Amino acid sequence: MSVDMTAETTTPKLATAGDYVELLKPRIMMLVVFTALAGLVAAVGVTGQGINPILATVAILAVALGSGAAGAINMWYDADIDAIMTRTSTRPVPSGLVPKDEALTLGLIMSAVSVLLMWIASNVLAAGLLALSIAYYGWFYTMVLKRRTAQNIVIGGAAGAFPPVIGWAAVTGTTPLDAWILFAIIFFWTPPHFWALSLVAHKEYEKAGVPMLPVTSGTKATRNQILLYTIVLAPIGLAPLVTGLGGWVYGVVGAVLTLTFIYFAVKVWRSEAGEPEAGDAERKLAMGMFAFSILYLFGLFAALIIEHGFGLYFAIGGL
Amino acid sequence: MVEKTATVDEHAVLQLQARKRRNVWLALALVGFVVIVGVSTAIRIQETDFSGGDRLYFSGYLDEAEKEAADREAEARYDALKAEEAARAEAAVNAETADE
Repeated sequence: MSVDMTAETTTPKLATAGDYVELLKPRIMMLVVFTALAGLVAAVGVTGQGINPILATVAILAVALGSGAAGAINMWYDADIDAIMTRTSTRPVPSGLVPKDEALTLGLIMSAVSVLLMWIASNVLAAGLLALSIAYYGWFYTMVLKRRTAQNIVIGGAAGAFPPVIGWAAVTGTTPLDAWILFAIIFFWTPPHFWALSLVAHKEYEKAGVPMLPVTSGTKATRNQILLYTIVLAPIGLAPLVTGLGGWVYGVVGAVLTLTFIYFAVKVWRSEAGEPEAGDAERKLAMGMFAFSILYLFGLFAALIIEHGFGLYFAIGGL
Repeated sequence: MVEKTATVDEHAVLQLQARKRRNVWLALALVGFVVIVGVSTAIRIQETDFSGGDRLYFSGYLDEAEKEAADREAEARYDALKAEEAARAEAAVNAETADE
């Protein structure tokens, strides 16, 4: 039997491999891989312990797969609220390209594969930390925190903070203070980074019933919190100079980026960003801070890679 | 205006083609996984000192004290073996000297 159907109205789009890649949240994956690489390179530089380059590559691949797995589980669980929000409605699951159960299956299989690969390539500690971070994001943040508390981003931020610790553990089998400083940088960076975006997108979160801070406490409280967390982040971002993890390159890059980040936070704090009467300039300011926050994190971790990966480490201090 | 029409049969064919393309990617991923596990295992075997405290995959550095103790035992066994050989060689030399 052949029935004519118009291609424009009735022929559904067919999923490609690219749609499955989209499930893995590739943009988040890039930042995760970059911070894990920085942790790995810094561990080699600081401790002098080596790791076979192929095994190091497999370890980084495992982190990428783990990040993708957590992203797929998140997309499976959040399909209902993603469909409500304009920004996320075109994602593979809410748009109908990928069935929900396939997203979950992909996430679970990739979780197991990533942890197994990490174990094979490095050690049980790094594999355990990777498993913990996947569970933290895929279950604790997505299923427990996100729809329950306005502190979802603060507590859930730990999930994204694990990669440099995992990278460090993959080399040394330990997680010393320096690794946890890198963890703390990402942990305290996440709230101002995400809240800057939520100042612009809070109506969407409200529509979907997600208790983001601007929805529950208002935009003024959010701007206050952005400034507060940025001020707390500033010394933590420069802490590697105290322990000796960061040298001159990190010092210069970190000082410039930290001052600029504070400048953005103060400007957002003084603005009306997120208010109903706020204009386009305020919207651009909040988005500017969001964009700069990515540059901030990228800059700090790039400085570590340059120093420890390219032999450009010149000590300033150190415990 | 309708730009293009598709039949149910044509759609089924398109779906099949799309699934085949995805399956090719899946197959490549599986082959990649097997290759990665194989290469990683080969490197781990090459780098592991099985005579000492190293254990493939289950090692890491979690039990450093146990690993060091096993390494020391292996070194002691090696030293004892060398000492035994040296003693045998010396005894042989002494025997030759006595014969002369």
